[in-house]
Amino acid sequence: MNRMPLLIFGVFLTFAAAWLGLVAYPYLTLGRLQPVTDESSGDVSPPPLSGLAVAGQKIYAANGCVSCHSQQVRPAYLTSDIAKKLGPRRTVARDYLRDQPAFTGSLRIGQDLANYGLRAPALSDIHRHLYDAQAVVPGSIMPSYRFLYTMRKISGQPSNEALTGLSGPHAPAPGFEVVPSEDADGLAAYLLSLKRDYALPEAPQEITE
Amino acid sequence: MTASAQPPIPEKVDASLRLPVLIFFGWAACWLVLGTFLCAVAGLKLVWPGFLDGPAFLTYGRIAPAAVNALVYGWASSAGFGIVLWLLARLGRTPLSYAVLPVAAAIFWNLGVFLGVLAILAGYSRSVFLLEFPGFVSAILFVAYLFIAVWGIFLFHRRAPGSVFVSAWYLLAALLWFPWLYFTGNALLVWGHPVSGSAQAPIASWFASGIISLWLAPVALAGAFYLIPQILGRRLVSYNLSLLGFWSFALFAAWTGMAQLIGGPVPAWMVSTGVVASILLFIPVLVTSINLLGSMRGSFGALNWSPSLLFTVAGAGSFLLVYIEGALLALPGVNAVFNFSDVLLGQGALVLFGFVSMSFFGAIYYIVPRLTGQAWPCDCLIRWHFWLFTIAVGVGFLCLTFGGIAQGFALSDPGVEFASSVAFATPFRFMGALCAIALLVGSKCFAGLFFRSVLSIFEPSAKPSAPGVIV
Repeated sequence: MNRMPLLIFGVFLTFAAAWLGLVAYPYLTLGRLQPVTDESSGDVSPPPLSGLAVAGQKIYAANGCVSCHSQQVRPAYLTSDIAKKLGPRRTVARDYLRDQPAFTGSLRIGQDLANYGLRAPALSDIHRHLYDAQAVVPGSIMPSYRFLYTMRKISGQPSNEALTGLSGPHAPAPGFEVVPSEDADGLAAYLLSLKRDYALPEAPQEITE
Repeated sequence: MTASAQPPIPEKVDASLRLPVLIFFGWAACWLVLGTFLCAVAGLKLVWPGFLDGPAFLTYGRIAPAAVNALVYGWASSAGFGIVLWLLARLGRTPLSYAVLPVAAAIFWNLGVFLGVLAILAGYSRSVFLLEFPGFVSAILFVAYLFIAVWGIFLFHRRAPGSVFVSAWYLLAALLWFPWLYFTGNALLVWGHPVSGSAQAPIASWFASGIISLWLAPVALAGAFYLIPQILGRRLVSYNLSLLGFWSFALFAAWTGMAQLIGGPVPAWMVSTGVVASILLFIPVLVTSINLLGSMRGSFGALNWSPSLLFTVAGAGSFLLVYIEGALLALPGVNAVFNFSDVLLGQGALVLFGFVSMSFFGAIYYIVPRLTGQAWPCDCLIRWHFWLFTIAVGVGFLCLTFGGIAQGFALSDPGVEFASSVAFATPFRFMGALCAIALLVGSKCFAGLFFRSVLSIFEPSAKPSAPGVIV
């Protein structure tokens, strides 16, 4: 091939076509989606995150939780995600409006977390799970996030924030207690905020057998 | 079409490229060892969560992205830059002038990658696949890249007259696509105020597939298109096949990323384009494989004496396999079951260690003796390197794929608990981790060979061997 301008033009054009379709188009359409306000109740969907949950989202990003946990529920006509109770409906673009970044994920080495807040146990159980997953769920391969917790000597009254019922090799010795750091509190708040059960015009609840 | 006899010019070209290209390859070899080491650690953590447990920087969610980034931006991209510069200079029969700028760019690029990997381990990751580096690091990488690309295009512009060989099409395309891709990805997902979360999924998928298909794959193919005819001293099967393969690859490859989002939060038509493009990509992949491997016909004996050819052919075979698997995984019924499973990990390993790395090894084994003026010091280490990589990639790919199939069925069966999907995948992941250790050993063989070869330049007794014998 000797016509260089043609080569460069072709290389430019093939890339530009995909760029317009897959980058510029979502930027101009999905990027401008707004929350939906229910006129009778005044509820905003998706609901805004609390400050603590926003801080927790950063901890979720910093520790690469998305390496193992997706946050996507695919439609019932295509997959069994809804039959597996990952959520009441498929997730759509507007569900990720408050996400920075959007943790859609590509692997399910761990469970999907799109609707973790809907099925989450009590806060203290979440902390116990983050602190030492194997002690809570035998056979779990989730890493221990005990670097988000402080083990300290009990001075006077035990803290009412301290984790209770810890067992296993990382349980505190008598006279010691484990308390969550701000980061751990944020992460737990973020996980509890993961609820995609509000109604959106483009995503009605799906029916499963 | 092959570059024919070209007496004194090649030596002049090689002398001008010695420093920048060897610096790129040297960094690349170090990143390969570090990247495979992190891969092995991450692989072991998946089956044994207590392994190296405790401090924040050793958690799986930091080690795994650090490994992938070290391999993609450290190993593959650095090696790719060296290959791009050498091939463009060789094909254009133009010596590189002002080598100090690409040398500086090489140092800045790799210092950037170093800072980026440290930042991921320290908890500054953005958690967007292949865009984990903090904004200031990707800015360093982008500027360093511009210097390299400008030099590459400058080399191409000053080429000796004559027709432009197919390798140069791929190299030119990669040099033009990468900055657009990398700038867009960072501008929309990393720098300043990223776009709304709603728009991020399609852009991130487009970016991640682009880094492989629009940056690393064209460089790997350019190397194969140059080396196979050059080593065998014959022509490619057909010029028209090259033309068809190149243009159909350029047309379809950029759209394939959306096939990862089947059922995801994007408009249905986008997913459809991804599915269609992934299946149509079969055309360029088949055409290119016929063109490359068909040139080998009747000459498979050459694999015995040319390690470059051996690695290049292994890379070309992986190329065919990777994109056939990509087309199968894009079928919505197949994707519904195996998306999110270890099948994707197996595919990633095949892309990175099979297709890209094997092709790049082939090119490096060919280029380095021409820069140092000496044959490789030890034939048997090359064999170790080849067989360790081939077996580890092959076995690792099969294990992760079979484990992923079992895991995928478990994940999509409403009657099976989640814990079973982990239990099914674990033995296969263990095998995968062993394969990562084998890759680490193979990488050390390669790095040891490379540095021994480079250091031998400085030995006073060393005599340059005739350029004809080093392949």
